[in-house]
Amino acid sequence: MKFSIYRFDPDKDSKPYMQDYELGEDQLQPGWMLLDALLELKAQDETLSFRRSCQEGVCGSDGMNINGRNGLACVTPLAQLKSPIELRPLPGLPVIRDLIVDLTQFYTQYRTAKPYLINNDPEPEVERLQSPADRDKLDGLYECILCACCSTSCPSFWWNPDKFLGPAALLQSWRFLADSRDQATDVRLDELEGPFKLFRCHTIMNCVEVCPKGLNPTRAIGHIKELMLKRSM
Amino acid sequence: MSRQAHGLRAWLLQRITALYMLLFLAYLLQYFYTYPVQDFADWQGWIADPLVNLTTGLFILSILIHAWVGIRDVIMDYVQHTGLRIALFMVVALTLTGCGLWSLRVLFIAVLRGATQ
Repeated sequence: MKFSIYRFDPDKDSKPYMQDYELGEDQLQPGWMLLDALLELKAQDETLSFRRSCQEGVCGSDGMNINGRNGLACVTPLAQLKSPIELRPLPGLPVIRDLIVDLTQFYTQYRTAKPYLINNDPEPEVERLQSPADRDKLDGLYECILCACCSTSCPSFWWNPDKFLGPAALLQSWRFLADSRDQATDVRLDELEGPFKLFRCHTIMNCVEVCPKGLNPTRAIGHIKELMLKRSM
Repeated sequence: MSRQAHGLRAWLLQRITALYMLLFLAYLLQYFYTYPVQDFADWQGWIADPLVNLTTGLFILSILIHAWVGIRDVIMDYVQHTGLRIALFMVVALTLTGCGLWSLRVLFIAVLRGATQ
């Protein structure tokens, strides 16, 4: 199996380049995910750098561009990929080294979305309860693992990563707008007004296409616009 | 226009104008299929009807607003340099306003001619 991997070490290289690697059939095991192959390659060439942690699609560390499509290496079956497998860092963000990108911009936008419950009532003795129906509204929203696959596949985020929140942050924004316990609806919506933060989304839907957890940020963004419209009338 | 109103209003205008243009195009197709235009006099007769004249005017206004929001979006996405962005906004706004005034003149003349005949 052949690999073509983006390499860049700012201490040594003046510009990035693609390096070829190969793993023989005897070095592969059936059922391997792409990350297993990467770990095997790293055993051969320890300078090859990438992030990984849980290795089962929960931590969101190993997001990368695999044959032109963003995804998590640990949940992408090797057998499904066309050789040579081209691996690049997530697009649109500064590269720190090889497949490792600087996610500062991504987290800054996440913070802008205020991804926490805002409730000014006195704290109850027990949990803040909600009905099962209200709880159901959060399904498909809370599962995000912040792997950044969606935001870095979004052209609107590529062009304006400092002004447009991006699909991941907007999904979180709706996660709290949709929460029956949250009391900051007006503040949240006010902060999303203007032409950039929310309305740079042109329903391209790359985010839906690549999300490794099968979430739908485009639908969440639609709900935010709908709520904004209802409030203004 | 305040910065606050920019996002939602533009988005809403884009959708409303799209809907109106769709309905008007359906009307146009239906009308010209039923009454094919033979010559210039037919065109003049058609546009001289005040209702047609008015709805056509609204249609052109919709195109202009829709085009403004769309091109404004493209410029916002791709042109990062503030000065260049403002210059492009002005060129587009002037061009669209020009087109609008010209259309208004054409429609006005047509309805006047209809009234004097």
